[in-house]
Amino acid sequence: MTSMISHAQALQALRPGADAPMRADGLAVNDLLERFHPDYGAKARVSLRIGANAGAPCHPALAGLLESNALIDDLDLAGAEPLATDVLVIGGGGAGAAAAVTAAMRGARVIIATKLRIGDSNTVMAEGGIQAAVGADDSLQRHYEDTLRGGHNEGDRALIAQMVSDAPEVIRWLIDLGMAFDLAEDKALGSTLLRKKAGGTTASRILCHRDFTGLEMMRVLREAVELQRGIEQLNRCPAVELLSHDDGSCAGAILYDLERRSFVLVRARAVVLATGGSGRLHLQGFPTSNHYGATADGLVLAYRLGARMCDLDSFQYHPTGVAHPRHLAGGLISESARSAGAHLLNGLGERFVDELKPRDVVAAAILRECAEGRGIARDGQTGVFLDARALVAADPDILETRLVSLGHLAAKCGLDPRQEPFLVYPTLHYQNGGVMIDGDGATSVPGLLCAGEVSGGIHGRNRLMGNALLDIISFGRRAGTRAAESLGQRQAGRGGINHVHRWRRALAQAELPADVRAPLLYPSYGNFHLRRTAAA
Amino acid sequence: MNTLNQVLLNPAFQLGADLDGWRAAGGGQGLDAALADPGAIIATLEAADLRGMGGAGFPTHRKWAAAAAAPAPDGDKYVVCNGNEDEPGTFKDRHLLRWTPHQVIEGALIAAVAIRANRVVLYINPHQAEGRAQMRRAAQQWAGTEAVRRIERLIGKPLEIAVVATSGRYIGGEETAVISSLEGGFPFPRRKPPFPAESGCHGAPTLINNTETLANVPHILHHGAAWYRGLGVGDAAGTKLYSLSGDVLLPGLYELPMGTSLHDLIFVHGGGMLEGKAFKGVFTGGPSNTLLTARDLDVALDFDSVRLRRSRLGTGAMIVISEGTSIVRKVAEYIEFFANGSCGQCPSCKAGTFQMARLLDRVDSGRAGPGDIAALRNLCRILPGSGRCGLIDGAVTVVESSLHTFPAEYGVAEPAPAETA
Repeated sequence: MTSMISHAQALQALRPGADAPMRADGLAVNDLLERFHPDYGAKARVSLRIGANAGAPCHPALAGLLESNALIDDLDLAGAEPLATDVLVIGGGGAGAAAAVTAAMRGARVIIATKLRIGDSNTVMAEGGIQAAVGADDSLQRHYEDTLRGGHNEGDRALIAQMVSDAPEVIRWLIDLGMAFDLAEDKALGSTLLRKKAGGTTASRILCHRDFTGLEMMRVLREAVELQRGIEQLNRCPAVELLSHDDGSCAGAILYDLERRSFVLVRARAVVLATGGSGRLHLQGFPTSNHYGATADGLVLAYRLGARMCDLDSFQYHPTGVAHPRHLAGGLISESARSAGAHLLNGLGERFVDELKPRDVVAAAILRECAEGRGIARDGQTGVFLDARALVAADPDILETRLVSLGHLAAKCGLDPRQEPFLVYPTLHYQNGGVMIDGDGATSVPGLLCAGEVSGGIHGRNRLMGNALLDIISFGRRAGTRAAESLGQRQAGRGGINHVHRWRRALAQAELPADVRAPLLYPSYGNFHLRRTAAA
Repeated sequence: MNTLNQVLLNPAFQLGADLDGWRAAGGGQGLDAALADPGAIIATLEAADLRGMGGAGFPTHRKWAAAAAAPAPDGDKYVVCNGNEDEPGTFKDRHLLRWTPHQVIEGALIAAVAIRANRVVLYINPHQAEGRAQMRRAAQQWAGTEAVRRIERLIGKPLEIAVVATSGRYIGGEETAVISSLEGGFPFPRRKPPFPAESGCHGAPTLINNTETLANVPHILHHGAAWYRGLGVGDAAGTKLYSLSGDVLLPGLYELPMGTSLHDLIFVHGGGMLEGKAFKGVFTGGPSNTLLTARDLDVALDFDSVRLRRSRLGTGAMIVISEGTSIVRKVAEYIEFFANGSCGQCPSCKAGTFQMARLLDRVDSGRAGPGDIAALRNLCRILPGSGRCGLIDGAVTVVESSLHTFPAEYGVAEPAPAETA
């Protein structure tokens, strides 16, 4: 392990009251990423051996899950409670709720199945805000270009164009649902939305509700789900497998009811997967900012049914996760702190990167400082400083107005942001790739749609701040609309798990182990094991 | 010795609609032999012990002899190649139609020679679009050939080869339903007798054979009956196409000597059970026969040996079930298939299959009470023999057999009393 600068020494190196110097080091962005970003390097990818993406690169830990055996057998379907609906939405975050509400508004009978409860998701953790080009000095074109460039020009252009065009309408829809946004002036009528600048953007485009925008968004979405006629909620019912028709199309899903400890078989004309990402896989040992349920279940289920994926070797590491104290490690310090002017400092008290560069660049820069001995060590945790002292000094009310969550977090960390900087380290934050979709969220498997983090292609190989909340509502609503169109098209027939048998043959023929079982449903420390190993 | 794919699936014959290629591979010689001595054809088939491969295992020569002997009131006689294949687990005919159309058509032409038929009908399921297209192309290639002119001289009439689409329904493959269908009606089965060989399509003698049966004929005429008999294991003759599916590692279509053991089919050719799970049973010959279980693994898969185990070889479909797969669920699927496939003519079949499907669905989803099992048993007692065709009998057989063999899966504690000591 590289030597680090101790926390006490680093505190002494801080220059009180003065602007920290920026170190110019001449390392080009591509060099920085290739040498220090976790997506690069030998341990970052393997080739998938079976399935729709055979031969394509994938993170090794994720590949292990994608090429795994199912949790259930045919026999488990016997005795499962049978339900039938028009649209089954799997996942109770923002994308799932938006899809459910939209489909139900269009007359579909909807079941929304969640692993824990509706709203228990990463959506509520999104603090920074949502991007929408609504300012006079901004345009859809700029939003499009920023998003495409932020994703290293790897994003699907049609999906990006559609999403940024949806953005203003998304904001209008959310306001209609009752969501509150911060306003530029404090007056009752006629004010405009407050816009903030985000890393990697050319205009002030972030709309927010203080620094808990996602929580506010989920509040109104949850109310909409509760109040909308035609939606039935199945809480604490994780999906363990999809159902398929003989032609390979999706026929519904098999859920596991945690309370009754029994399987539920839901037949549906269309299934919307909105299961989120995979941060709880703790790739390469990184802490994660993600919700407890982010275990890549949707990817596993969709891949087994034959859905095509993209960019499975690309993840976003948020630069500023809490590094100390240890029990909060991975928790997010919103980018809004850096947007507002907080600085990153190494153990020598130097700034080493423009804090508003795209997230992958900033994260790689922090990892570089730690790798090259300029990181800070405290009680076995390492990181760099996020310094908000000058910010709070300039605007003493900011922790009560714009950065409320930051104040709460400081209290939890036991430090005073007026006096002391946070210790931060990159945290596994977002799955850039996922299931390939068209503009309506439709996958390569008929009857199966995806929305939100489980889908891929929109953010290329790096997502900009504020585009996730936009993504989930834009594509969630479109997937809900498309799912409702399937009404009356296909008779919800019996459906089974023949695709699992085909999959097991492929596993055996590729000599892959049959005793690794997925989806995980919960992280390994979750103390819940539904046949995770052959022995269980 | 490699016993796989010796005749029908021989790689040399998988040519599609290519008449020249078929001739170059040895095709056409069976028809030549038939034309050289038309009177000997039926005797050759008898000596070869060719059986009906569509499920019945009925000796082919007897059908042919009946059709040959039947007088033709209007001068017409029909040969029909039955390519309606539709039941779950069977996928052999579609392969023959798609990849070896000339093998099939030559068999039908030999049948025309044997019974002096002037109308050859290739009756193909429209869901097998590619097979139908290949057959249509192949039939056109025969038009005006020397072989066809020789047949026309022999029968003294023009020979018509027509490709006709079936209704695409399961019931349309039943022999008498084929006739209703060819006459332009809904494929309603009829009571037998009269048998189609005596009075079939528009009252004319009609010989209806399964695709696989006809495909064997050119080879028998070409190589002789003794050769064909020698291909089988023990007393069984020839080869059989086995459609292997279910919980095995390598499902697929296998041509093996007739009489190959079930064990060899599953564990030698099929690669064994998927994930090494324990073998539970096999739905033989499609979903309408008695299940075979672990103690039947040694059975030779030929018509007579399987019948000795109180089941039937049927189409040669083998749907293998392992531990972990629910018998009730499979049976429920199949009965639902029969309920959807019932033509609705006979009330007992129409209502009986529906009721059985409903009851099985309740058992499968854990909602059944003791009265439901009793109701199933009652239906199994009263339904058999009540339909014009065998659909209801087949449906009852599989329900009864699964209830008898796997009572625990139905939630029945004690096995039903054995019917035989």
